[in-house]
Amino acid sequence: MINHYVPTSLNDALKYLSTHDCYIMSGGTDLMVQKHVSSLVLPRFDKDVLYVGELKELQYIKEDKDGNILIGAETKYADLLLSPIVPEIYKTVIKEIASPNIRNMATMVGNIGNASPAGDSLVPLILNDAEVVLKSVNGERVLKVSEYILGVKKTARKNDEIIVEIRLLKQNLRYLYRKVGARKAESITKVSCLVGYQIKEKKLIDFRVAFGSVGVTIIRNLEIENKYKNIEVKDLDVDRVISDYYQLVTPIDDQRSNKEYRHKVAMNLLRKFLLELKGGIDE
Amino acid sequence: MKINFKLNGSNVTVDVVPSKRLLDVLREDLHLTGTKEGCGEGECGACTVLVDNRPINSCIAPIANIANKEVITIEGFRETKAYRVIADAFADMGGSQCGFCTPGMILATYAVLRDNPHPTEEEARIALSGNLCRCTGYQAIVNAVLKASEKGIKL
Ligand SMILES: Cc1cc2nc3c(=O)[nH]c(=O)nc-3n(C[C@H](O)[C@H](O)[C@H](O)COP(=O)(O)OP(=O)(O)OC[C@H]3O[C@@H](n4cnc5c(N)ncnc54)[C@H](O)[C@@H]3O)c2cc1C
Ligand code: FES
Ligand code: FES
Repeated sequence: MINHYVPTSLNDALKYLSTHDCYIMSGGTDLMVQKHVSSLVLPRFDKDVLYVGELKELQYIKEDKDGNILIGAETKYADLLLSPIVPEIYKTVIKEIASPNIRNMATMVGNIGNASPAGDSLVPLILNDAEVVLKSVNGERVLKVSEYILGVKKTARKNDEIIVEIRLLKQNLRYLYRKVGARKAESITKVSCLVGYQIKEKKLIDFRVAFGSVGVTIIRNLEIENKYKNIEVKDLDVDRVISDYYQLVTPIDDQRSNKEYRHKVAMNLLRKFLLELKGGIDE
Repeated sequence: MKINFKLNGSNVTVDVVPSKRLLDVLREDLHLTGTKEGCGEGECGACTVLVDNRPINSCIAPIANIANKEVITIEGFRETKAYRVIADAFADMGGSQCGFCTPGMILATYAVLRDNPHPTEEEARIALSGNLCRCTGYQAIVNAVLKASEKGIKL
């Protein structure tokens, strides 16, 4: 027998989780679609469901003393877009997720929990080393989003844990981002690319690259990034960077696109951004 | 489980499984069939309703997430002045043909104009990007939004 539990507080939810293996329902925009059967038929769940999407104590956006932005897990995309303290790069990415209606329902924690390589918010989260705070009756732990997501639909969540907060660590980066989908609005990503960088006295003091939808998870490689840190921007060899990422980007064929197209677009976006980065140095 | 919410201004209580879709609660339990089901997967906006004054897709909203909220469907929205302005603009500009997308389009139009009373054509298109229409080709709908914006939806 499948139980559905609507907790009245986070503590109530944690207690339930400590004794039940369940689906955690936030906005439901992934789960309700995945479990949908047809009109007038209940969605088909194969284990208990815990509804935390409307827990007010998990809906907040605040800044800590170090300038990090702390987001209560159940904050909707629409509220992130309205907040003056959420960094612009996240807003740029969120504006291109789904449609206004979906953004009024869905959460970033759901995007993380769904662990899809096409999860758009994962790209800036991983590029910026964002963290999630996991809670259970036994305590709390903090993981980077890149450590939380283990593969397609696989996460590091233990059965008794729930993400309660997302931490956007303060960064001083400039960004170049592009999402490519079938149309301008409301489309699942075929390829996305985000470059983050910081230039000081003509030197590239920070350099990061992330790709979405072209591997089992978001692609980011610290070894490659470190190779190009602290070099003069004019010495950045675009072809060499591209050849470094060439093998790493491993898209698949699916109903939305094919691997050759995805690979080509990923490399073209990277080239365009690297040229922009180099061109912008004299500004 | 008993779930309370406000529907078109009145308090209602339904006794249903918490995973039941708001759309099915409205159409089956409460017999309000103005809200339509198109795709059933969040992509077309035919099932748009307002929850706490924001448009959402009721086909993927579990009723558990609606507890203690305020829902307005096209039946409730009909009683407002804003409805009159928007519905007239749709009629004038040919923004409705078969009418299946229209309840959702009208509520989405209301939400657009409330947040941005004078949208550009491009802004109107982006704001309605989650509402699909198989008949009009969209131009007539965008024209209707712009026309309603000219008249202004007094709230
Ligand atoms: C029409 C449509 C268009 C879409 N377009 C896009 C798009 O452009 N880009 C994109 O990235 N996504 C898109 N999505 C997918 C979806 O909207 C997002 O992934 C969204 O962020 C999910 O959030 P949610 O709150 O609805 O998640 P839910 O469906 O509630 O949950 C999703 C997953 O996260 C887990 N989870 C939820 N809350 C927690 C928690 N607190 N702790 C741990 N795990 C948790 C759930 O168990 C589940 O596995 C689209 C969906 C639809 C229906
Ligand atoms: S029926 Fe709900 S979005 Fe299509
Ligand atoms: S008028 Fe027929 S679907 Fe829009």
